[in-house]
Amino acid sequence: MDTLLAFLTVFTQPELLLLVGLGTFAGVYVGAIPGLSVTMAVSILISFTFSWDVYPAISLMIGIFMGGVYGGSRTAILLNIPGAPSAIATALDGYPMAQRGEAGTAIGVTTVMSFFGGFIGIAVLALAAPLVSDFALKFQPRDYMLLAVLGILLVGSLSSGSLVKGIFAGALGIAIGAVGRDPLTFTERFTFDLTIMQSGISFIAVMIGMFGVSEALMQLHHVDKTAVRQKITRIVPSFGTIRKHLPLSLQTSTIGVIIGALPGTGGDIAALMAYDHAKRVTKKPERPFGQGAMEGLVAPETANNAAVGGAFIPMMTLGIPGDAVTAIMIGALFIHGLNPGPMLMIDQPDMFWFIVGALVMANFFMLLFGLTGIKLFTRIVEMPRGVLIPLIMLLSIVGAYAVNNSISDIYWMLGFGFFGYFMRHYGYPLGPVILGVILSRLLDDNWRRAIISEREDLGRFFHGIFTSPLSLVLFIAVILIFVSQTPLWARAKAKLFGDPAERVQQ
Amino acid sequence: MKRFVFGAASALVLAATAVAAQDYPSKEIQGIIQWGAGGSTDTVMRSVTPHAEDVLGGTVVMQNVTGGVGAIALNQVAGQAADGYTLLMGAENPLLYKVMGLGDKDYSDFTPINILARGTPILVANPDAPFDDYPGMLAYIRENPGELRLGATGPGGLPSVVTAMINTVEGEMEVISVPYDGDGPALTALQGGAIDVMPAVLGAAIEGIRAGNMKPLAVFDVAASDRLPEVPPVTDFNEGYKTYLPWGPFFGVFVKKGTPDDVVAKLVDAYAAGAETAEFKDLMENRGFSMLSISGAEATEFLAKWQQGTTWLLQDAGLTKTSPEEFGIARP
Amino acid sequence: MSRIETEHHDGTSDATPGGYEGQRRPGELVFGALMVIGSLVLLWNAYGISGFEALSAPGTVPMATTAVMVVTSAIIFLRDLRLPRVAGESVAKDILPGVVLIIALMLVAYGFLLKPLGFLPTSALFLIAALKLLARRGWLWTAFVALGSLLLVWIVFRIVFTVLMPAGIVPEAEVIQAVRNLFAGGQ
Repeated sequence: MDTLLAFLTVFTQPELLLLVGLGTFAGVYVGAIPGLSVTMAVSILISFTFSWDVYPAISLMIGIFMGGVYGGSRTAILLNIPGAPSAIATALDGYPMAQRGEAGTAIGVTTVMSFFGGFIGIAVLALAAPLVSDFALKFQPRDYMLLAVLGILLVGSLSSGSLVKGIFAGALGIAIGAVGRDPLTFTERFTFDLTIMQSGISFIAVMIGMFGVSEALMQLHHVDKTAVRQKITRIVPSFGTIRKHLPLSLQTSTIGVIIGALPGTGGDIAALMAYDHAKRVTKKPERPFGQGAMEGLVAPETANNAAVGGAFIPMMTLGIPGDAVTAIMIGALFIHGLNPGPMLMIDQPDMFWFIVGALVMANFFMLLFGLTGIKLFTRIVEMPRGVLIPLIMLLSIVGAYAVNNSISDIYWMLGFGFFGYFMRHYGYPLGPVILGVILSRLLDDNWRRAIISEREDLGRFFHGIFTSPLSLVLFIAVILIFVSQTPLWARAKAKLFGDPAERVQQ
Repeated sequence: MKRFVFGAASALVLAATAVAAQDYPSKEIQGIIQWGAGGSTDTVMRSVTPHAEDVLGGTVVMQNVTGGVGAIALNQVAGQAADGYTLLMGAENPLLYKVMGLGDKDYSDFTPINILARGTPILVANPDAPFDDYPGMLAYIRENPGELRLGATGPGGLPSVVTAMINTVEGEMEVISVPYDGDGPALTALQGGAIDVMPAVLGAAIEGIRAGNMKPLAVFDVAASDRLPEVPPVTDFNEGYKTYLPWGPFFGVFVKKGTPDDVVAKLVDAYAAGAETAEFKDLMENRGFSMLSISGAEATEFLAKWQQGTTWLLQDAGLTKTSPEEFGIARP
Repeated sequence: MSRIETEHHDGTSDATPGGYEGQRRPGELVFGALMVIGSLVLLWNAYGISGFEALSAPGTVPMATTAVMVVTSAIIFLRDLRLPRVAGESVAKDILPGVVLIIALMLVAYGFLLKPLGFLPTSALFLIAALKLLARRGWLWTAFVALGSLLLVWIVFRIVFTVLMPAGIVPEAEVIQAVRNLFAGGQ
């Protein structure tokens, strides 16, 4: 009974309801603007809500979190500029749809699927949090390393052009991620003895440059072309469309929850993995991936919103942040006199159920704000490019600076903007670069931890992999995906099963 | 047009500031936090500053400037004018920059406004570890050399100092040191069994200990902590630690050296009052930090003593790049 | 004219990057060569981090990844060498047309001016110049749109999100405090 009351707190108090709504609304816009991040917004809210009670403060933060994760898809679809790293995969098929004038449909599907994914995430949080967090704790450094390798193999799905160029781009990304002082030993890497290189290259700056500035420069080629008129008549997808994608969205939501619950990985990796998964399991998309496949929207958007619920799992059960935003929320709970940790669920179960309730509410608000106000957003895209391009550039600059309040990030952003421009011209995919930067630390740090733990002994390292069921499953997945991407496999399969085009990459 | 308005308004304000420094603060104050959002330093600073703002009658805009173990933030503040409009909100790390080769500036280039609180190190183990107390751990290491996985957070971090202390007092331990990028991720790994023992700050481990997800071995202090009275201090097992303890990481607010005295005085008053508030004291208590709230000569002396003790300990453990002697840091 | 419409392969969606399957675009060879050289420099640098000290050394992963970069960039370069050039394309027309070059230079200038001049003046100059060049409307319209949107961006980032962009010659903090005092006085 108490549980139900705590869960319903947010629904019964108009003030809290209003704050969740306000947060979600603001979150959609914060998420949509590249460079304004949920992490930033929530950390500012800590000072802002300092003197408030804990419930209102948390309500506002949860709204921003939910809305922000969703908001990243807006600019990805409309401008080909992901508002946040977790929306990179969304741009791959969302933007081609917008170019056909189907931005309304794309946003509609994205919204409903984000809602669905968000709901799955919350449901798992509410029903199975202790179970999932136990599972997440089982991940050893070698498992994180295998997960990173699995992620790097996504390069194959992210580069539809030349695979060699994709691999080059991915390796470049990993190298970019290593720049600066190594966080484990403080050794300088790729710094060329320059102070500006010491703090490393912010991956948000790389992302904004490669996707924002280089896209804007690209569009200068046809600055006078009028923008595509967007049909925004049918926004809410039909029930048939939703039902068709239900099995896929369940799978990708599961990916989202698990990746979100793992400390150290978040919605960005989850969305990319889900995109890759969709590409593997979808036999016959209505349109090819990369040209506006609906599945290419469904997968990343369900996954990144499911990751929100996932991120709360270790936070609520163990006091361990599932991602950067929950890390700040833990700080906020401390400031408000709570002690987030394994005892929180026992000492203050109300807090847990209140957060679940607020998340549910935020999810509904996200659906509401997602399906309304689309007109305003599409107006932005229909603005003359001559006006839009300078504004995108200014936002990119401010956004890059805002990440860490550093001018050198602006230089990096511009540098990678120019570099990305040439990469686009010469057929190098940009997605793998960002993927590499995201995964660089995960791979490098955990590889080193894993091999240090085994006293630098490769034999012991592999013994560890083969004796742990979790590591073994991940290892086999890595091998299978790797083999399935090599030409040898396609040839063998063609012999065994006949026409290979019918079943590309199981 | 807009710039004209700005110019006019600013001319007025500038004229006002020129007349009297007593008007401090006549504009927003920037607070540069050395560590990322959500970290201990961030939480502490964001919870004390609003109270200080009330006393100060101004606004402190806090920003996280991370990277280079905090050196980026330190250098940024050092590069600003010494007018009290840029505060450095940091932890103990800068005192080790020189010997660790991470930078050529430390807190001797700054005036301490308030050293807010000090943390206490505690040694925690995975609940499944084959020992239950500190002597048991030492015995286990002796019997199984090179098997125990000990968490670390890079040279100069709390675990490296505690490890250096143990090595100095008990003799060299043969363990595997697994590096993590902060005590949060390391304690997570400890609960998952990726490492066996971790020296951490008490506040970070306390909830895990209460829930039985970690087992405490010893508090690195001369007396038991009020928060965990049942955990023995390490000096109960070996008196040798008394040379180095009490020791712990700390948080402080600083301004660049050369800031006018009256401005420093105002800031000192504001932060002292902020640290006195019940809410802040409760927060520190809950996180297992010991309140210090010291400033002026007392703070300078605290910093000097801390630097002497720690740098020489690390020097003797062979962890430094340059000897403290080079920088005129005398052996304690 | 056998020139292919640029719209189809300018890489507008990242899923279908630009470039041609069996041909090389103007400048592609130079870019490829630069990538090879760059990768070699990085590999050498990565070797310098810790050499072949240990499997867990900080330089191990950087060395492995830059080695991959060297190999792949070499393959790309050698393959490009054998490809025929795209007919009818030139660097000046299809890769770096005047307008892109001008805007790129303006961005570089922005980077240089930001610190000494401050965010507001630099951005105002940039927006006015870029809008005038790209949208080709009257001065009044240009100034209105530029300053209006700059004000909006400034309010969102500076006031709401307290991102302190370099103030330069504009005493922002004093002005904000003055406004704040005004409101505080009014209460």
